[in-house]
Parts: sequence; structure tokens; C-alpha cells
Amino acid sequence: MKVTVEFLGVAGLAAGTREVTLELPEGTTFRQIVRRLSERYPDLVGKVIAEDRETMFGSNILNRNGKTVIRDELLDTCPQDGDKLFIMAILAGG
Amino acid sequence: MYGYSGRILHIDLTERKTWSEDKPEEWYKLYIGGVSMAARLLWENIEVGCDPLSPGNPICIAGGIFAGTPVPVGGKHGMASKSPLTGFIGDSLSGSWFSLALKRARWDGVVIHGQSDSWVNVFIDDDRVQFRDATKLLGLNTYETEEAIRDELGDDQVRSATIGPAGENLVLFANVTNDGRQAGRTGHGAVWGSKKLKALSIRGTHGVTVADPETLMKLSYDITQAAQGPHTAKYRIYGTATSVLKMDRMGLLPTRNFREGTFEHADLVSGEYMHEHNHVKTIACAQCPIACEQMCSVKDGPYAGAMTGIDYECLFANGPNCGISDIRTVIKLVDLCDRGGMDAMTNGVTVSWAMESFERGVFTKEDFKCKKYPEGFEPYFGNGEAAVTLTEMIRDREGIGDLLSKGTRLASRITDEERGTESYKWAMNIKGLENAGYDARALKTFALGLAVGTRGGCHNRSAAYDPDITGETDRFTVDETRGRVAGRSEEYAAVYDTLPLCKFIRRCFTGKADRAGAWPAIAKLINATTGWDFGYDEVDLIGVRAHTIKKAFNIREGWTRADDHLPYRWQHDPMTKGASAGYVVTDEELEYMKDLYYEYKGWTKEGLIPKSKLIELGMDDVAEEIGV
Repeated sequence: MKVTVEFLGVAGLAAGTREVTLELPEGTTFRQIVRRLSERYPDLVGKVIAEDRETMFGSNILNRNGKTVIRDELLDTCPQDGDKLFIMAILAGG
Repeated sequence: MYGYSGRILHIDLTERKTWSEDKPEEWYKLYIGGVSMAARLLWENIEVGCDPLSPGNPICIAGGIFAGTPVPVGGKHGMASKSPLTGFIGDSLSGSWFSLALKRARWDGVVIHGQSDSWVNVFIDDDRVQFRDATKLLGLNTYETEEAIRDELGDDQVRSATIGPAGENLVLFANVTNDGRQAGRTGHGAVWGSKKLKALSIRGTHGVTVADPETLMKLSYDITQAAQGPHTAKYRIYGTATSVLKMDRMGLLPTRNFREGTFEHADLVSGEYMHEHNHVKTIACAQCPIACEQMCSVKDGPYAGAMTGIDYECLFANGPNCGISDIRTVIKLVDLCDRGGMDAMTNGVTVSWAMESFERGVFTKEDFKCKKYPEGFEPYFGNGEAAVTLTEMIRDREGIGDLLSKGTRLASRITDEERGTESYKWAMNIKGLENAGYDARALKTFALGLAVGTRGGCHNRSAAYDPDITGETDRFTVDETRGRVAGRSEEYAAVYDTLPLCKFIRRCFTGKADRAGAWPAIAKLINATTGWDFGYDEVDLIGVRAHTIKKAFNIREGWTRADDHLPYRWQHDPMTKGASAGYVVTDEELEYMKDLYYEYKGWTKEGLIPKSKLIELGMDDVAEEIGV
């Protein structure tokens, strides 16, 4: 299956790219995707992806299709072919 | 008393006299500073039921507990007056040097009463107060006014809060500017204008005495180090404007007067685009190691030379929400607002209301005649020059700008009465304050937080979008947790707004933005500053009490349950595109969530506060007046 990941804000700077399309075997979990991203874009670790390379760092979230936040308890579920994932930091207040 | 002077300065513009009021330490422990202390001063000093633009409505300014200390992001002050936009409490925060000058002049707060018979600049020079003629400052914009006062006094250390032409002209969403920052929302600038108060200047020459300087320095150093780490990179690099694309992808970016939540040109008005094409430099408020304000300029085209700080809220309002995709025009619009002294958020939402009203035939080209365009113009969505002209007309209250200077609630009421139209259906305000840049049709917890908010459509007082956006709650549905989540979120925000500390620091205590991490750390800062013995519970109560005094103020001014409402559009018109299409907040959902919220707060079903609750918070005198 194909899944597109868009890196928004500082995630894009750390990754050095704005978007990547991943070819993944069926059954790949979100946790595996985060791990794959941390390997492919090591500068994300400690800034966007946590040091464990499986969860998100700080206020960064992994969002599926703009609708569902893949919180830690959903990391072992799987995306569907054609899904668009967004990696973004949430800002608030001031 | 450590950390405070124990004195409030009262200034009567009518009689041109001043006096000092001593406050006991127990009073400070209840109301601390910022929006809470400012709201409390307003509670004590207003003529109940007065017209917001009358002499009975005082301007109340409260400093911060940490202003002038090494505590990072503690350089803010609160301002409160009865809002001419909402008729309820108007409370705002502004950062930077003004709050430090106030502390160094040894005043914890200032209350400005009455109404001057001529334009005045009040100069607080430590203990001395001068009423200086401000006639020659009239017509100057906010920045020019600050500079002119420094030149006149021959001291570049004097800090001034000023109004621009919009405040002089009583635009109801005029604001107050200091050091390029604004007490931006709810129309304080109009209240200043009604008093003929062009500026309030301060020179403070004293130091600030704290209880335990060594501990405070150590704590502050650690937080400052963390504030320059990865948790704040998002603010330091792009500033809040980076939210444009995130909101767009979630279908929450208000577009064309909140008709839709996704903008086809979002990339062209994004923080990322602006950073690459328009960024000039990044600046910080006083006492801030983060530095989030991104100064942007226009280098070419008809608006070349415009330059100001651009954050997400002013960007959404004057960009996507007006259908404008040229970032240069957006910068020009925000620059016009900042120099003119107007709330850029309300300006954008009001201009977008006018654009939709034009497109729907409520207004015609004839209605938009002005000196610049004697035959009128056509302000359809996306017409940047029309937005610029409308903003100038609002500032000057020229032509239809006079109507728009009243904000969307009053402008729609007047229009609908005169023309038999229904433009209130797309007037995007709550309690009369125009909405912030989050479409709440599919942020159900935040919708509740906005509806019950004491100052109206504000993202800073309710932080309930955070659980919705981070997936802590299901943002598309309603359940029995929402009253508690919304209530806890506004009390959480109120702690920061009362100290005040900028909320951008909230992950720099332990890495998490929760109470468990931050409150013990904040208690240590308070104790090292004041010598008090605060812990988690005392810090938590700061927010509860801050919110309660504002709510009590509204109740005394006539608030009823019906005032906790949402814009018609959010309840009746679902969006058709993007990730949040298809949702509204029904009456049933809203009333259910309000019930849950009042129950969480310990209030009656009608949203009134029991006497016992107020007494429990140490607010006995408030209980006597409005408790049930």
C-alpha cells in the first residue's frame, strides 16, 4: 500500500523535505511507520519524534487524513492504502 | 512584602487628582496579578451598569508577579475595563517593557477613573504623576506616539501604552499598544479614547525585591535553558503563523467568513511561505528567551514598505477568512491595524462579514463610496485592495467604515433593522467578540469553551481546542466529559494569564503541558519571589478564582444563560469541504454541554454562582453581591 506523509512546520525543516510517499507492506502499523521515518530522517528524533523512535515528541502529533490523531494507544493499528498522514506540532495561546 | 509594593495607583482624569491605595498581602494572594487582579480592580471600581464609554468605566491595569525578575516570559501586564464590544468584561494581556516599568515605579496596579476634558498623556514618574497635554499627539499612529513621547521627555527608557487614530475615533475594537505589543481584544482603545487618554507613560527607577534571589535565579536559569530547546522551536522558527497549514489540513482554517475550513491557497499565506519570502527578523518581548514574533515586510507591489509582526490569528482573519491569497496584502492589513491601533482579528472578521454581505446583496457598490473611490467599490472575497480600503475606512470611521467600526454584532443588528435582512446569520462573534481562527463546528469541546467564555470568541481564555486537536477528546462528538474538560482548560489558561506567564513556556518545566508538571514548578517561582508557601492546590486555585471574578462581573452586569451562545452559522451551516465537513453544533448538544459545564463549576443550572462557592474561594464580598 501507499501512504503519503506531509511534514508541517518544523517537522519539514528537520526532515529536509515537505512530503514523502511510502510503499509499505499490508499490515504495517503506525508504530512501524514512525520508526521508519526516524531511520530515514534522523534529525526528526529529539525534535519531532521521541528518543524511543516510536512515539511523538512533545506537542507533535501524527494525524491521519486530518481527522484522527494517532495517539500512543493507536500506534499498533494500521493505515489504509491512500491514507495521508500529517506530522505537525500543536501551538496554543500566547 | 516581597515581589509587590502593596500599592495601587488611582488616577482621576475628571478632577486631575491621584491617590494611592494600600492593599493587604491576603488580597494579593487571592488575585496575584495580570487578568485576575485587573478584573478584581474593575469589580471594585466600576459604576455597575454604566455605558462602557462613560466616565464610570475605569481602565484597570495590573502588573505581573514576575515582572522585573529573572523569571522568563513574566513580562506581561493585564488590562480590564467593561468592553464596548460585548458589554461584559474586557480583559487583555500585553507583553514587554511596560509591565517592567510599572513594577520599577513601585505600583502593582493602576486604576484610571473619569474622563478628561482635553487630550492627555498621563506620565507616571515613580511616585509623581503628570497630566501632560496630548493635543499634538493626535493623529499619530501607535508607534509614532511612543516615539514622540520619548522625544518630548528626552528619555528613551520611558515606556508608553498608547492608542492610535482608531482609539481616538472610538472604533469599538480599538486596542492599546506598548512596545509594539497590544492589549488587543475587547476594545480597550475605545475606552481610552472616550476618556481622551492618548497615552499612559511610565518611568520606573527602582529595583524589584524578591524573597529568595538565589533560588529564583537558579530556577529561572533552568527554565530559560529549557525555553531555548526543542519544545519552543516551533515558536522560535516560524511563530504561530505555522498553524495555517495545520488548521487547513484538519479542515479548521476559517475561510471566507467561516463558510469553509480549508483554503485552496493556504500554502501562499502560510507561516512557511512567509518565512521564506517576507521574514525580516524575529523579536522578543521583554524578559523572553523564546522570541516568537516574526517581523515580516512587503518588498514590492502597491503595499511595499508595510512591515509588522505577523501571528496566526491576525493572518487567518485578514487572509483566508477574507479569501485573500496574497501575503503582501495580509501584511499590509495587519500593519494598518497595528499602526492604527485596532484589533486585527476583529478587523478581519468584520471585513469578511462585509464581504459576504456584499456578495449576498445586502450591500451594493453604492454603499462603499469613499474619498478614495467616490463611485464605490466591490468588496468581494479575495479583493485585497477592497479589504485595505475598508480597514482604512474603519480606522477613520469613514462612510460604511462607521458601521463596521462597531464590530459584527452591532453592525449586523443595525443593518438588519434598517434593511430587513438577516446578516446576523453570518456575523461570526460570541457575546459580541469576533471569533478566533479555529472553526468550532468540528471542535465540540472548544465550542463549549467559547460559548461559556467570559469575554466571547477568544482562543486565549479557553484552551479547549487543545484536547480536541490532540485527540484527547473526539472532536466530532459530544459526551459527558466535556463540561469538565472545558472548565479545567479555561482554569488552566487563567493561571498563566494571571501570573502572567506566556503560555508558550508551558512545556519548559517538565516537557509536558499538564498541571502535574507545571504547577509545582510555578509554586516554587512564586514562593522564591514572595516568600509565600504556595503548592499545587494554591496554584490551581489561582485559575479558578481568576475565572470566577470575571464571571461574577458579567453576572452583575446582567449576564444570563442565553448569553452563552455560538454564532448562528456554527449551529446551522455545515462546511462542505475538507476534513471537518458536515458538522454543526446543534442546540441540543450545546445546551447539554452547558449543563455539564455549569455542574462541573458548581454553579446553578442557570449558570449563577452559589454564595457558598464564592466564600469557599475567599470571595465573601462578591458572594454578598451576586451569590445565590
